Amino acid sequence: MTLAIEARHISKTYTGEGAPVTVFRDLSFSLPNGDFAAVMGPSGSGKSTLLHLIGGIDRPDSGTIHVFERSLQALSPRARARFRNEQIGFVFQFHHLLPEFTAEENVAFPDRIAGVPEREARRRAAELLERVGLADRRDHGARALSGGEQQRVAIARALARKPGLLLADEPTGNLDAAAAASVFSLLRELHRERGMTTLLVTHNPDLASRCDRLFTMSREGISPSLGLSERG
Amino acid sequence: MRFETFVALRYLTTSRRRAHVALIALISIVGIAVGVMALIVSLALLSGFQDRIRTQMMEKSAHLRISPARGDRLADPGKVARALTGIPGFVSAGPAIEGRGWATDLEGTSGFFIRYRNGGAKPAAEGSDARITSSLAARLRLNSGDMFRVISSRTRLSPIGPIPVAVLLRVSEVFGSSGLSRSADVEVSDDTARVLSGIAEGAGAWEARLADPRKADAAAQAARATLGPGYVVETWRELNAPLAFALRLEKVVIFATIALIIVVAALNIVSNIALTVIEKKRDLGVFTSMGATPTSLQRVYLTLGAVIGVVGTSIGVVLGVGLSLTADRFQIVPLPSDVYVMTHVPFAVHGAEVAAVAVFALATAMLASVLPARAAARLAPGEAIRLSR
Repeated sequence: MTLAIEARHISKTYTGEGAPVTVFRDLSFSLPNGDFAAVMGPSGSGKSTLLHLIGGIDRPDSGTIHVFERSLQALSPRARARFRNEQIGFVFQFHHLLPEFTAEENVAFPDRIAGVPEREARRRAAELLERVGLADRRDHGARALSGGEQQRVAIARALARKPGLLLADEPTGNLDAAAAASVFSLLRELHRERGMTTLLVTHNPDLASRCDRLFTMSREGISPSLGLSERG
Repeated sequence: MRFETFVALRYLTTSRRRAHVALIALISIVGIAVGVMALIVSLALLSGFQDRIRTQMMEKSAHLRISPARGDRLADPGKVARALTGIPGFVSAGPAIEGRGWATDLEGTSGFFIRYRNGGAKPAAEGSDARITSSLAARLRLNSGDMFRVISSRTRLSPIGPIPVAVLLRVSEVFGSSGLSRSADVEVSDDTARVLSGIAEGAGAWEARLADPRKADAAAQAARATLGPGYVVETWRELNAPLAFALRLEKVVIFATIALIIVVAALNIVSNIALTVIEKKRDLGVFTSMGATPTSLQRVYLTLGAVIGVVGTSIGVVLGVGLSLTADRFQIVPLPSDVYVMTHVPFAVHGAEVAAVAVFALATAMLASVLPARAAARLAPGEAIRLSR
């Protein structure tokens, strides 16, 4: 069984203007390739930080993180950026679409960052928008979309480079129940179609229970919830 | 279009919700445009005047002047004359016989210190004719055909002791003063110049005129090679070096002073981009999550500065060049003809100067965006996303 994510003894402390805040210490975590897993836990337990560390947009103070058997810390900033572009897709709770750009332009960004020609990137973005059911909304600005639509665009954007790993940080946290169920179903379908490893952070126990594997995170660390892990 | 250019242009053009940033961008563009325009117009004004002075230098100065390295007489004027006739572009040559004295009216009631000389390489006045500058004519109240006296600083022995050498001359022509060094107030015939200076034979220097004065440096090289050591060969540029230096200095000072407008406008670019970086902090994090490198993000903000620079500079160049050409073509700024030789303020647009102004403005704009762009590249992306919830 190959591992998509392997984090060993990682610690993270934020040193801002106030006193240092230790998010977690000596945390180890792994996820097999192709899994659809969820992480649950109380606010402040470090779920989002864990996703940021796995995605390489933040660095652990100690410990190692391997994604698809590559050490993120060993990569140069440029190589890490390229790896993230090719292998990792992010979906955030507040969608984080760029308001100056249309839905299609937002979805085309990962391709354009990779150097794909504009026309080709737009064509692929249009296809993805069609796949998430928003073909008729491609020219709309991000602000003109509903919450559920914005999150669908964000999912399309995360999948633009056909990543091996999708990291979703409370993708339904800001949506009503119907939109949340719809977005979750979309994630599930896309996982079945594309087979990418998916790790999502959620506060919704109902959605978490529909994942192949569930981890619970607390101040003490991260541990698999047995009932669900057995299913995976 | 590159990803960075695409993002930068969109940041600059979608200003609906960012009126303050758009206003600062507009102020930056206007500032750069005004600075570039002011620089181009000022330099065109200076160039207009300086071109006239340079033309005068070429018209009124000898293009080449050969004098002995030691002593005040050329040992072998024949050799100098032969060397000059052999150089490329040679037109004419002649001895330079010159000196200082006083010009007085016939009554001797007023006298002025003057320089006199023969024609040198140009045709000299004939007989007792003299060409005098307009300023001397004004001071002695002389017109064409009037008589006046030039008294040399040299003396000759007479039965009553040494007396100054004086000649009586007729004004054949009044010409505009050039203000160039070595320019004479009174131009006389060779014979008159020899009488006044006491140089009966030969000359202190030999002068030549060339078909194209701009090739004087090459001609001087050829003359030096032919003559060998013992001679000083100077071009018209070297003869007027102090004036040329003053003109260059004037341009540098004007450039440095007016360029401050562009520098102030560039400070606006710094604040504009810094504001955009702060406002778009979350975007930086999102772009990073999509795989943008810090260099790429830095390039977005450098492009922002470059776009402001290019737009401002382009507007400034068009306005500056247009205004200068219009002012020159339609003689918009008149000059009193009794004070100045010119009837209007001349403007001359030099391509190299416009290019220098444009490059300076663009470089300043780019430089202004480097600092905030670097700050953007240094932002921690995780923190940018975490704090923008």
